[in-house]
Amino acid sequence: MSGVENSRAAAAYVSPAAIVSLVIAAVPLLFILFTSVDGRGLSPEAFENLLSSTLFRRSLYTTIEISVSASLISLVLGYAVALHLARQSPRRRALYMVLVLLPFWTSILVKSYAFTVILGREGVINSLLSWVSGSHIALPMILNRFGVMVGMTNYLTPFIVFPVLASLLAIDPALYRAADIMSARPMRIFFTITLPLSLPGVMAGVSSVIVMSLGFFIIPALLGGRQDVMLANLVDFYTRETLDWNMAAAIGVLLLAMVVLLSAPALWIRRNRLVGST
Amino acid sequence: MSIAFDQRDPLKRRYRRFGTLLAGLVYAFLLVPSLIVIPVSFGTQHEIRFPPREFSVELYRIFFSSTAWTGPLLQSLKVALIATVVALLTAVPAAYGIVRYEFRGKRAITLLMMSPLVIPAIVMALGLYLYFSYVRVTGTTLALVLGHTIYVTPFVIVMIAAGVQKLDPNLEFGATLMGAGRYRMFTSVVLPQLAPSILAGGLFAFLISFDEVVISWFLASATTTTLPVKMYSSIQWEISPVIAAVSTMLTVLSFVICMLTAALQRPGTPGQ
Repeated sequence: MSGVENSRAAAAYVSPAAIVSLVIAAVPLLFILFTSVDGRGLSPEAFENLLSSTLFRRSLYTTIEISVSASLISLVLGYAVALHLARQSPRRRALYMVLVLLPFWTSILVKSYAFTVILGREGVINSLLSWVSGSHIALPMILNRFGVMVGMTNYLTPFIVFPVLASLLAIDPALYRAADIMSARPMRIFFTITLPLSLPGVMAGVSSVIVMSLGFFIIPALLGGRQDVMLANLVDFYTRETLDWNMAAAIGVLLLAMVVLLSAPALWIRRNRLVGST
Repeated sequence: MSIAFDQRDPLKRRYRRFGTLLAGLVYAFLLVPSLIVIPVSFGTQHEIRFPPREFSVELYRIFFSSTAWTGPLLQSLKVALIATVVALLTAVPAAYGIVRYEFRGKRAITLLMMSPLVIPAIVMALGLYLYFSYVRVTGTTLALVLGHTIYVTPFVIVMIAAGVQKLDPNLEFGATLMGAGRYRMFTSVVLPQLAPSILAGGLFAFLISFDEVVISWFLASATTTTLPVKMYSSIQWEISPVIAAVSTMLTVLSFVICMLTAALQRPGTPGQ
């Protein structure tokens, strides 16, 4: 096949999706850029206003704080599950996998609602504690940082499990046998074999989880308090409450820049591979 | 062999037991929110309680007899269905083109098509909102369909591309040698073989669109509200017990679609 014919065939297959992406994904992004600098005005005013706004600075700080801590907790929880899954036979692994896949596919709204039922003032945990202790207990566990962290780690953990499990399964079992024969203790085996060799999965998982959590909107809105406003909630606030589209767009641009910067290394590594873990 | 070692080494057994315990707790933490809505949904409308004091299907009856809930349900079904069909129409050939051909600008075009996977939903939602306000379509079903289409397309492309990679290119080459044109070859050789991937991709896209909140929150109007948007505002303002019934139905839907896609993808790589 000649090169011309080749590229003509490729164009026939790819162009419909490319045109749709151009018109409904690229153009909206240009609209954000355009609005953030006040259209043809090309004014950096919105960005200047943002940087001097305490509301913005506080929610930027909150966003980074929540994203990093939720990602780290999810890493610990996800790693424990991945280790457990890696030890099972393929049949049992498929079975246990359902325990991760079902929550993975559960709607974020269902989970948020469930957590209001579980953690609320009159919720399952408080009722249980009241019943056990015999006095009325109402620990504040939602509409605060605790609620946001619980909701977010619950959502993010499966996104750690999948890549870490893939890395763990790729480790040659002979290494474990060798370490065993040399009578290495479990901790030693974990820190010299398991952990270092699973680092690619850890990196992939953590970077995707941080990128995801930067844009979280539903969980902080439903489970967080006034102190837990994240950047996405601020975008919503400026767009729908104060109708300050320039400010909203400027935050959008900053959020996009953060995401691109953080995911660039991951994209660079697998730039030739289309299929990742979804 | 390593198992024999484990049985004799109490230290190792202790570590393993600790690991299993920890994993068990995490499984429970992950699962409980999806499952707890089921018993709650069989309670009554007067209180949200786990476990409910008396069992009834009252909440389901309220859901299905009120247009405030069935309207958004039908709207979600409609949007998800149209978005899935449109996404499949463009994504199936695109995935094939990307896997089978090398062409100039391939990396850039692929990145563009995949971008909604990485861009935060809130940023996409804002961009679509500004754009659609400019061309005056916000609040319409068309706006929701377009927004959902662009959002689900990359998921479909990823799944179909995985399916294409498993096909034998010689069959396509053979069809071309026998004189089949590009269109004929694609429809009678490629598409039939891709049927399971297309079905799985379609189910995925449907579920993702059906569950999508953020983009719909920005693009829907009072008359085009989807089920998740209605749920979102209900959880925020009133926490009606009916949401437990909606949640249970959504969880069952997710479970069924997740199992179906797993079954469709069985011949190939296991798991994710």
